[in-house]
Amino acid sequence: MSRSLVAGLTLGLLLSACEPPPVIPTADRRQQGANSRIEGEILVSARSRGNVVLFLFDVNRPPPPQGTGRPVAFTFIPANAIFGASLEDTAHAGPFVAPFAFSQVPAGTYLIRGFLDAYGGTTTPERTPDFIPWYGVTSEVNRGDVGGAYVDPLTRAFRTVTLAEDAEGRLQPVSGVTVTFQESALTVVPVDRPAFEVVTDSATFSPQLGNLETNKVVQLNVAPLRAGVIDQRAPAFLFRYQDENLDGVVDQLNGIPQLWPRVIVRKLADEANPALLVDQNDRDRNGILDPDGFVDYPHLDLSTGTPVAADGQPDLVVLAAGWNPAQVAAQLNDPGGVPLTEPDPTRPGFTRFVTVPMTSLQLVLGSSAGPLALDASNPLAPAPLAVIPPGLYAIVLIQQTGQTWRLPNELNPPVASELNLPSDFPSQGFVLTVTPR
Amino acid sequence: MTPPLRNLALCLGLLCSTTALADARIEARRHFQRGMAMINGGEFDRGVEELKEAYAIKPHPNVLYNIARAYLDAGRVGEAQEYFRRYLSFNPPDSEQVRATLARLDEATARKEQEVAVATAKPRSLEMPPPPTTTSGGAAVDAESVKKLNALMARLETAVAKAEQLATRPDPEVADPLPAPLISAGTSADEEAADAVPYEETVVTASRRAQTTLEAPNASTIITGEEIRLSGATTLVEVLRRVPGADVMGLGVGSANVSLRGFNQRLSNKVLVLLDGRTEYQDFLGLTVWSAIPVGLEEIERIEVIRGPGSALYGANAMLGVINIITRAPGTGPVGQFSITGGMGDSAFASFVHSASSGGFRYRASAAFSQADKWSRDFDDSRPDIASRVEESDLALRSARGNLTTHYAFNREVSVSAAAGVNRLFTEIYPLGLLRNFYFDGLSAYAKSDLAAGPVHLKFFWNHLTTTAGPQYSALGEGRLDSTPVSNVFNGEALWQHSFELGGRHELNLGVEGRFKRVSWSFIEGLREELHLAAFAQDDWKIVEPFRIVASYRLDRHPLLDNGRPGLAHSPRVSAVWVAAPGHALRGSFATAFREPTFLESYTSVRIPIPGVPGASALTEGSTTLRPEQMVAFEVGYRGELPEIGLEWDLTGYQNVVRDLINLSAVERVRPEDSFDPVTNTYLLGRSSFRNEAGAFTARGVELGAKFSPVDGLSLTGSGAFQTIGASEVPEDYVCAPCTQAPAFKAFLGANYRTQVGFDFSVEGAYSSRTTWIEREPSAADPTQIQFVPNALGEHFVVNARIGYRLMNDKVTVALVGQNLGPRHQQHPFGNFVDRRFFGTLTVTP
Repeated sequence: MSRSLVAGLTLGLLLSACEPPPVIPTADRRQQGANSRIEGEILVSARSRGNVVLFLFDVNRPPPPQGTGRPVAFTFIPANAIFGASLEDTAHAGPFVAPFAFSQVPAGTYLIRGFLDAYGGTTTPERTPDFIPWYGVTSEVNRGDVGGAYVDPLTRAFRTVTLAEDAEGRLQPVSGVTVTFQESALTVVPVDRPAFEVVTDSATFSPQLGNLETNKVVQLNVAPLRAGVIDQRAPAFLFRYQDENLDGVVDQLNGIPQLWPRVIVRKLADEANPALLVDQNDRDRNGILDPDGFVDYPHLDLSTGTPVAADGQPDLVVLAAGWNPAQVAAQLNDPGGVPLTEPDPTRPGFTRFVTVPMTSLQLVLGSSAGPLALDASNPLAPAPLAVIPPGLYAIVLIQQTGQTWRLPNELNPPVASELNLPSDFPSQGFVLTVTPR
Repeated sequence: MTPPLRNLALCLGLLCSTTALADARIEARRHFQRGMAMINGGEFDRGVEELKEAYAIKPHPNVLYNIARAYLDAGRVGEAQEYFRRYLSFNPPDSEQVRATLARLDEATARKEQEVAVATAKPRSLEMPPPPTTTSGGAAVDAESVKKLNALMARLETAVAKAEQLATRPDPEVADPLPAPLISAGTSADEEAADAVPYEETVVTASRRAQTTLEAPNASTIITGEEIRLSGATTLVEVLRRVPGADVMGLGVGSANVSLRGFNQRLSNKVLVLLDGRTEYQDFLGLTVWSAIPVGLEEIERIEVIRGPGSALYGANAMLGVINIITRAPGTGPVGQFSITGGMGDSAFASFVHSASSGGFRYRASAAFSQADKWSRDFDDSRPDIASRVEESDLALRSARGNLTTHYAFNREVSVSAAAGVNRLFTEIYPLGLLRNFYFDGLSAYAKSDLAAGPVHLKFFWNHLTTTAGPQYSALGEGRLDSTPVSNVFNGEALWQHSFELGGRHELNLGVEGRFKRVSWSFIEGLREELHLAAFAQDDWKIVEPFRIVASYRLDRHPLLDNGRPGLAHSPRVSAVWVAAPGHALRGSFATAFREPTFLESYTSVRIPIPGVPGASALTEGSTTLRPEQMVAFEVGYRGELPEIGLEWDLTGYQNVVRDLINLSAVERVRPEDSFDPVTNTYLLGRSSFRNEAGAFTARGVELGAKFSPVDGLSLTGSGAFQTIGASEVPEDYVCAPCTQAPAFKAFLGANYRTQVGFDFSVEGAYSSRTTWIEREPSAADPTQIQFVPNALGEHFVVNARIGYRLMNDKVTVALVGQNLGPRHQQHPFGNFVDRRFFGTLTVTP
């Protein structure tokens, strides 16, 4: 018995001696869950020179102009890795190729966008790399940058990347993704971001729900800003009718023609928000409405015109606002009121609505039915609220190029000082105070 | 009776009918004391038998010496000669003198035999039983021989009487020309007190001179080599769990952090670890790389753990305590020993130790190899986004090391020692902040020399470390953090020890020390050098016999302590020890201690990739204006022993107030102009700097440790510690990580049972209460938001057991060892899941 016991123990010891250690994730979040990678290359055909920044977006949270999503990750490919010996030879347009990879990406479907942060070459020889991801006022493309994306090589339509599990339940990597940067009139950003200032006699808006008389008009002027890391020397509003489906018909929402730039007047958080950078119901500023601790308002039943109880979901409160129709008509329509068009260079034989660079736009706070607040948590079907929530509101412009600008922003002098940003732009601290009557 | 029952009864009978073999030191001490008392009472035979019993339990050359003296006292010269010879076989430091004495005895005996043969008619003038080696009857000696032997006996009697008075301490002066075992003062095993008594627990680390644990001014725990070997431990840190108040945090098989009385963390930096008085603490990192220690468990004589501040003697970093690993004196112990171990987790350990002497020259040489796999892995090989940066991703530890220690005694006063070791190893370490486990593939080496010339002791050592280190796993597309630090530390120390009478007995230590550190590392932007100087003094003043005051003071000059300029750190300590009754001592002490900023904390400039965002990183920066961490400590203790029943205990209460803790700040924005880092081609999310935390952290606790041998063959060891840590003078929203990361309650219980039929049984269990670790993590929703995340860690038990069987006169030992037999657990939220392993061990001592 003892012999067999010893033999058994010895055998057991020998067998277990070579067993590999089990894989057990620790508290480190990187180890938990199944993540994978997306890798490929960027293909740059441009005479411009610069670093490339690539962004990974959740397909459900696309970036402007399609949405307001923020990237889930970004990566940086330096110019010397892209252009190599041709870095200084701006006559050579490539194509240039460099690898990229996103790792620790959870399962899902993604969009890949990017831009070449141009600092040399044909378009913007005088600029320096100006992208800084950490500030709203420095984290987007500017004039001369070259946009790029993961697109279908033939149709140029955006493509998505899906990380999915295989038959055995293992998340598979995706490789061979080519992100193209083709320098052209369509991809080179023509203007700087729509940096603006508000011209008004009062930053206070005192609306009365449904009372047309209480609509308010403010003027937005472009605001060239150039100091330190801020370089918005040539801002402009690219004024234009929207036609997302390219059917030649102006897009409308609730019977209202949609225009570029889009304007959003969004409610700011009421709680401690000294920098005025936190939107209501998005305390962590991740672009996703807070799942708990949110503010919920009663909605308006359009059929009865009576309030209905709050739906228990976080609201994304915006005020109804739009461009002055008279200014629109004067700039975008012919004398007969028909939208002006021009040949579409990307689609021979087709036309598109004209784009008019503007330096000043008149914004109407209110709608044709008077002031109104909406819950835009579903952007395709904004729901009117039974009240106009009082408080502070930000004004956000979204250009057709995807460029945005927001007031107030980090250049608000008290905030700018804290962030070591230039603090000599008091206009950037404008905030709309809404005090319903 | 059925055969199985008969076998069981036989087995139990064999096990229970054995001679006492409890905790070897305590049990042997009991027999030794009993034997000496009998010898003093004239019961030579029974007394010698007790001494022999003590020796059988735990061989100690001094016991042989005392047996020889007892035989001589009893007039049994032949047996005395035999035991002197056996004593000499250990090559004791006083070999020459004992040899001379033995030669005189041999000569006298030979002459006596000759004279007996010639003059058989002459009456015997000395009442002594005939030596066992003589075959004839009565022996006659001449008057001169008789006179010499009588004088010798008279001196021996005086010596024995004195020894009785001094609780059986041999006194070399009185016993001359039969000297007491020569063991000089110092900090290594061959440097025990000159008046050391066999089996009496002594400690050298607490006061830089040998003293009994009763006299020590600090709470101290001694772990003997025997305890270590019986425990079956395969790593040094495992044996430290028995120390009351010790926080042993195993993150990986080869990676652990040890602290005392709280404040443990990844890169635990507040406990000074010494190997034979040479620092093993890596100054530039603030870490002890336990796997890099170039000696094996089989070479350890004992480990002395001093709980409480030690800066007054050891300077910086001995803040919460000192762990001094003391190896066997060269030339002592077995001439050779082979040991091999194999078991689960691809574990393999092999070692060879050789020890010998020739004349005044003694040496010990060792070589060993060890390797083991991780307990658990963080990532699977199939994970598509993470790559292992090491070839063998299962491997936790691989080490090949060699060590040579030599000693040459010119005479009793002057000796010189030289030692060198090298360890080529692969292991893991767990850095701070966002970093996780790093591989550590390098080479550590040292050289050390000691010169003892009377009261002057000079010590010089060089510590070297070259390693390539980096994250074991990194995400594809992310920046790499691999680097190759090279550290060289040169240390010189002079110590002068002097005793004098002035209102009582004074034992004075005066010393100066210089340390030059030279570190080349990309994390600290190239080459950095620092020169540290220190002077220290200690007076152990025995005012009246049961009462002593130990006053120490150390002044350290550090190149950055004064806001980035050279500055001074003062470390006073005052202790009072009152031996209220034999075997019972009360002590109280006040001390300050400090920890100097490491190179990492002073000079670091490294960009840490932000997980999941390949284009971003966070800058970790050092600061040259850091203040040292400071501690003010009060301690009271009671140490008692009842050797008659084999019981020893120590009860300690303490309060440590720590200020200026050095920690990494939260990630703060860099200037926008500095956002892009051209070195890594990433955008800097922010900067996290080492800084002194505001506020005070007060740790209060009680510790109890005991050893007990209640019955023959059984030894019990137990300890318990209760501690609270609170923060004051901190902001309202402050989250106190040290307060929640230290377990409030820890306990250890160990039992070993040794039989004379060759079986040894040992089982040990350590308990640690739950903790909450505050660690920084990127937000799951937005990795560019770095948050402090509380990670709750449940209580854990560590249970180890060993069954050993000795055969062939103990020349061969086989053992089965089970480690971590308790539930699978973590000791840190980012550490391995510690799991059970079994090993088989074969030890041959030819």
